[in-house]
Amino acid sequence: MLLPIAGLIIGLFIGVVFPITVPVEYAKFMSVALLASLDSVFGGLRAGSEEKFDNTVFITGFFTNALLAAGLVYIGERLGIDLYYVAMLAFGLRIFQNLAIIRRYFLKK
Amino acid sequence: MLPIKQGQLAIAMVCVVLGIMLAVQFRTTQDIKSSIPYQRVEDLSQRLSQTEKERDALINQVQELKRTSGAEAASKEFERIKMGAGVIAVEGPGITVTIDDSKRPSKPGENPNLYLIHDDDILKVINELWAAGAEAMSINEQRLIASSEIRCAGPTLSVNNSRYSPPYEVRAIGDPTTLENALKMRGGVIETLQFWGIQVSIKTQDVVKVPAYKGAFRFELAKPVQEGGR
Repeated sequence: MLLPIAGLIIGLFIGVVFPITVPVEYAKFMSVALLASLDSVFGGLRAGSEEKFDNTVFITGFFTNALLAAGLVYIGERLGIDLYYVAMLAFGLRIFQNLAIIRRYFLKK
Repeated sequence: MLPIKQGQLAIAMVCVVLGIMLAVQFRTTQDIKSSIPYQRVEDLSQRLSQTEKERDALINQVQELKRTSGAEAASKEFERIKMGAGVIAVEGPGITVTIDDSKRPSKPGENPNLYLIHDDDILKVINELWAAGAEAMSINEQRLIASSEIRCAGPTLSVNNSRYSPPYEVRAIGDPTTLENALKMRGGVIETLQFWGIQVSIKTQDVVKVPAYKGAFRFELAKPVQEGGR
């Protein structure tokens, strides 16, 4: 459990130290990608707790989720449909589901 | 508590990416907040208050100068000329007319301009009031003098080169009942305006204050004629 937290702190540190900025037009994409990665982390933790973690599935899942979400936002913007919310809702729901499963796992003795 | 054993490294890697994204997103959101529209509003309101302060100081200065220079010229004739020119504030019985845009929504296909106040509407009101014997008049704190213009300036009204948006308040000193009747005449100005839903309210008052003309007189071409000179 320590390693992911350490990774998160390192990531935050890198983000704060290096002056990386995203143009305002792409802020939406960024937020969806952020949610996708958050979802992946929770999914990974859940799989780890259920002892059926697979590295390939995890990594590919991370990238496809992020890319699909960004693609949805892009297409939505072109078509004038807020597909943005679809991605948000899907990821949000999954995060809560995964969190519930992880919680049960930790509460189990 | 059971520790999670599998996939620690991969999750840690993704966590690094997640951390970077979080930091960047945080910074971007802050950038948006401190971006142009927000800054511009603050900047403009600051400039407005500064200009208002400056204006008040200058008005005070003008009054101070007028007081010190007007001591020797207290003759009645001089006072009358000043009143006529509109450089001093006057008060007396009169009416206050408030005119505002129509609240009625324009029907589709109809020209929405019909429901707005235009310069000629105000001009008609002013003209009627002068004709009914008004002695002094002002629109929204701007004294009407001989060279005052009343003109549409986009969606606003330009009076004495100052711009005002609705509602417009016209104050006139004169016999209150005469002035009121002149406006409320059958088929008169008010009736026409009210047909389009423009809101007009007339208040007769015992004391109406009409402010002084705050601008300066500039004559670049006109010169006084020497009487009996030729």
